[in-house]
Amino acid sequence: MFRLTDEKMFRGFATFLLTTLTVITLLPIILIVIASFTDETALISNGYAYFPKAWSLNAYYYLINQGKLIFRAYGVTILVTLVGTLASVLFTTMLAYPMSRKNFKYRRILSFFVFFTMLFNGGIVSSYMMWTNIFGIKNSIWALILPNYLVTAFNVFLVRNYYANNVHESIIESAQIDGATELRIFWKIIMPLSVPVVATISLFTALIYWNDWLNGLYYITKSEYFGIQNLLIKIMNNVQFLKSGSSNFLGVGNMNLPGTSVRMAMAVIGILPIILIYPFLQKYFIKGVIVGAVKG
Amino acid sequence: MKKVIKKKNRGLTKSGPLLLIALPGIIYLFINNYIPMFGVFLAFKDYSYVKGIFGSDWNGLNNFKYLFKQDAFLIIRNTLLYNFTFIILGTIFAIIVAILMCELGEKFRVKIFQSSLLLPNLLSWVVIGFIGYAFLNADTGFINNTLIKLMGSGKEVAWYTTPKYWPFILTIVYLWKNIGYSSIIYMASISGIDKSIFEAAKIDGAKKLEQIKHITIPMLKPTIIILTLMAVGRIFYSDFGLFYQVPMNSGALYKTTQTIDTYVYHGLMELQDIGMSAAAALYQSVVGFVLVITANAVVRKVDNDNALF
Amino acid sequence: MKNFKKLLLIACSVLMVIGLVACSKSDSVGNDKGKASSDKVEKKSYDKVVYAYATFNNIPNSDVLETVAEEINVITREKINVEVELLPIAIFDYSSSVSLTLQGGGQIDLFESLGDFNNSVSSDMAYDLTDMIDSYAAETKEIIGEDILKSTTKGGRIYGIPTYKPYALTPMVIYKQEIADELGIDMTQVKDIFDLTDVLRTVKEAYPDMTPLVPVQTGTSGVNMTIPEVDYLTDDYYSPKGILKGNDMTVIDYYGTEEFARLADLTRTWYNEGLILQDAATTTSTATELMSADNSFCYVASYSYPTEDTAASISAQTGGIPLGAVQIGEAYLDTTSINALTWMVSSTSKVPEAALKFLNLTFTDPDVINLLIYGIKDRDYVMDEEGFVSYPEGQDAASVPYTAQLSVGTLGNFFKMYPQEGTKKESLIWEEEQNQLAKKSPAMGFTFDSSEVKTEYSAVINVINQYLPGLLCGSVDPVEMIPEFRNKLSEAGLDTIIKAKQTQLDEWLKNN
Repeated sequence: MFRLTDEKMFRGFATFLLTTLTVITLLPIILIVIASFTDETALISNGYAYFPKAWSLNAYYYLINQGKLIFRAYGVTILVTLVGTLASVLFTTMLAYPMSRKNFKYRRILSFFVFFTMLFNGGIVSSYMMWTNIFGIKNSIWALILPNYLVTAFNVFLVRNYYANNVHESIIESAQIDGATELRIFWKIIMPLSVPVVATISLFTALIYWNDWLNGLYYITKSEYFGIQNLLIKIMNNVQFLKSGSSNFLGVGNMNLPGTSVRMAMAVIGILPIILIYPFLQKYFIKGVIVGAVKG
Repeated sequence: MKKVIKKKNRGLTKSGPLLLIALPGIIYLFINNYIPMFGVFLAFKDYSYVKGIFGSDWNGLNNFKYLFKQDAFLIIRNTLLYNFTFIILGTIFAIIVAILMCELGEKFRVKIFQSSLLLPNLLSWVVIGFIGYAFLNADTGFINNTLIKLMGSGKEVAWYTTPKYWPFILTIVYLWKNIGYSSIIYMASISGIDKSIFEAAKIDGAKKLEQIKHITIPMLKPTIIILTLMAVGRIFYSDFGLFYQVPMNSGALYKTTQTIDTYVYHGLMELQDIGMSAAAALYQSVVGFVLVITANAVVRKVDNDNALF
Repeated sequence: MKNFKKLLLIACSVLMVIGLVACSKSDSVGNDKGKASSDKVEKKSYDKVVYAYATFNNIPNSDVLETVAEEINVITREKINVEVELLPIAIFDYSSSVSLTLQGGGQIDLFESLGDFNNSVSSDMAYDLTDMIDSYAAETKEIIGEDILKSTTKGGRIYGIPTYKPYALTPMVIYKQEIADELGIDMTQVKDIFDLTDVLRTVKEAYPDMTPLVPVQTGTSGVNMTIPEVDYLTDDYYSPKGILKGNDMTVIDYYGTEEFARLADLTRTWYNEGLILQDAATTTSTATELMSADNSFCYVASYSYPTEDTAASISAQTGGIPLGAVQIGEAYLDTTSINALTWMVSSTSKVPEAALKFLNLTFTDPDVINLLIYGIKDRDYVMDEEGFVSYPEGQDAASVPYTAQLSVGTLGNFFKMYPQEGTKKESLIWEEEQNQLAKKSPAMGFTFDSSEVKTEYSAVINVINQYLPGLLCGSVDPVEMIPEFRNKLSEAGLDTIIKAKQTQLDEWLKNN
């Protein structure tokens, strides 16, 4: 009886704390969403407000005008995120697993090899030269997937660490005695045990690919291959630019460009898909809890 | 007897097949990270487009000089202090959030909380800068305009020209953006803990707080160590967006907001000197390298299993 | 994001210059000239030139780009035996993208300097055109004239051709006509920046909730452009380090001048009396945004067109609020105001002659330049009987397949472009006149090479960023801050920079 109350109390306490934290976290974001629906002049004379004096859909009209571009860019980004994340998870777990094995001869060397990449890099110039001249990926979808993010030291260490602490050497030993090959052990035994950490790194990698605009900036000049972040950043900066006194060149009737509210609307558009997809991804975290339980 | 089994097992584990499994990753890192390292030469070159990386004239340490001019001490101090604060507070908060989430156990609420906490991480720094401005702006900002009036203290603050508030503001913004993200790592680790251990503790009559103290936190130790070690390697770096966009690059705040990355950016924005940017990156890397090797050696002495390499 | 702010500053000042297009009808030649003889030369091989230009519009799809390039090629194949590939790059990543491509061994033959002519030359990015210009771009040389061309030389060698357009920037106050009328303020009495204070006070008295003056852009109230006859000696207007004043050929410290001190005092007065936006040094909104709200009255800026036109076109951007403009200073030309936008042949180009020949066409051939700017007739734009250009019915800049129309002031010869609907012929005459009449710095043609003082430069820029916005917007006390500022500057090595400038200038004077 006593134990139950203790647990209940703790649960209540946790709910309370997390609710508070969530509200605090969300307030600024709600402000952005509201700002994206606020009339531009009201935004400037009264500042951002939770209850603005005048509402307006202009920012979204402006974005809808760019319709075809935005759809295509979403397509590019979704494709890149899916392929990139899948490949990344595979490469990362395969690299991390041997590093986690205590009796693997090259364990330390390999760890150092991986970690070193986190500290030193040759800079953008040399990697640009290599990717474009040797691999010729400029202006292709590979340019958005291959450079920089496929295997990151951070993720490798997360996974290695997870294996080292959650996969008992004894499981592997018994499989070895049964005569399973290393690849089979990895695929049949290790992978099913990795659900929580795989969920974690897929999420991280997906976020990286989703939010990336640097690869697009460096390797893409053809607008067919712009991802959503590249497009948003371009529009955002162009709008800013047109607003800055140079827009006399817009010709007659001057487009009435919304400024700040458009930028906010873009922020909303950029995160919207993630908000929609994330709850589906999340069940794997919960599943992770169950896997852990079954194992015991 | 035990010894014999161990020996036998070592015999069973051949390094070859394992190396083969790791090979795709190794090849990728070699291509993506190691081949381009010839770029570090740039730090010692006076770059010329005609002559290219290898052909350009050597420049000795000239490219490094500007990193040690004038305010160098202040800038290094800022960078280090912020990073220490972020490592410590970030870890503590992330663990607390992760533990609380895991204790909830119930799907729906966890979903809501976790998605919400993750959202700030999806916003670019530019947008976050705008949000900060919406709150702190002297004329129409939410704090000066609404909060201070509500509280009746009446004193408006010129946030963007008063350096003393910024260590707090930047720390809050950092935590706001990153807690959701980093707590996920700890959640995954907690999920991986064998549930039977908790069950056993419960039967022994351990209270929740005791379980956390004696089971959860010790089980998280490896994760904490590894994340901290990795953070130490990046201690001379700072998140450029946080220190540039959020204070709106306000010159009056440099005393408390300038870090190595923003200093380099300001200095080179006009010059666009390739050699000097390479020098800055190398400088940050080398310091991180030295620190992390030291830290790793210490960890290895104390707790060999959890060292990075 | 890198470089964006800087590009913005430069591009703004450059683009502000251009004003409303008004070309005489005689310039708008028909499109049919080039097409005639393209069929004969099918199988010949042509030199391929990659033309990289900054665009503020959307970047078109590659198939659309090819249609425009093909139209241009019809002309270039015949005239100069060259085919071009168009490479539009968004303005904010233009510099880094070009520099990366060139370093990586990619092909870009023609590119523009967005403010950093000198960096491009000192890092060997630009091809030495001296020996080619007479054979391949003689017409351009003639159009531009030796004098202007001097601004893109270094050590007597020509490294680029400046975009031909109105150069002279005149400082003005842009204000809301209705408020001025209502309060009976005669704005024509405002002759210089110091006259503005009383006006601002009057407005503040009548509307205590109003912030009469807004900054022209983040970090400057615009007052710095009102100091007369300053040659910035190759530096950005927003971070001067060692300048010439008038006809005196001694390089002096900008921040030590009496004018600067007076301006800082002035903005401080404005700030203390609540006449200027309190967050002027950090605002996220631009002048036009701020002007469209109802709690502002005026801003100070420099434009290159007549006051009435300026007021009218800005008024259109602010949602039709009636605006007036009054001139508060004289235009002054120095080297930077011309070479900020210079076209260069890349040093790594394998076909420099072909590149220069094509560059020549962008200055001389109206068909080529208008294809670049407006795209293909009747698809991307329509032209009325008088030769004015507008978008096809129901289309705008965002929906036509191709347009680079916002780049008018950056490509080739501005005076060869079709005028846009709603612009006036007289303005153009005024602008050309200003180019001639504007006072020119005696050091016109001198460019400073900062490579020997790079270390000092980066340190000094950092100090300037820290203090200058506050001083230009009044948010810090000049009595206390100017001495501290100057102290920090000399610690950072400003004196070394000034000395280096003086040495190079003396050297230059000897040879000119």
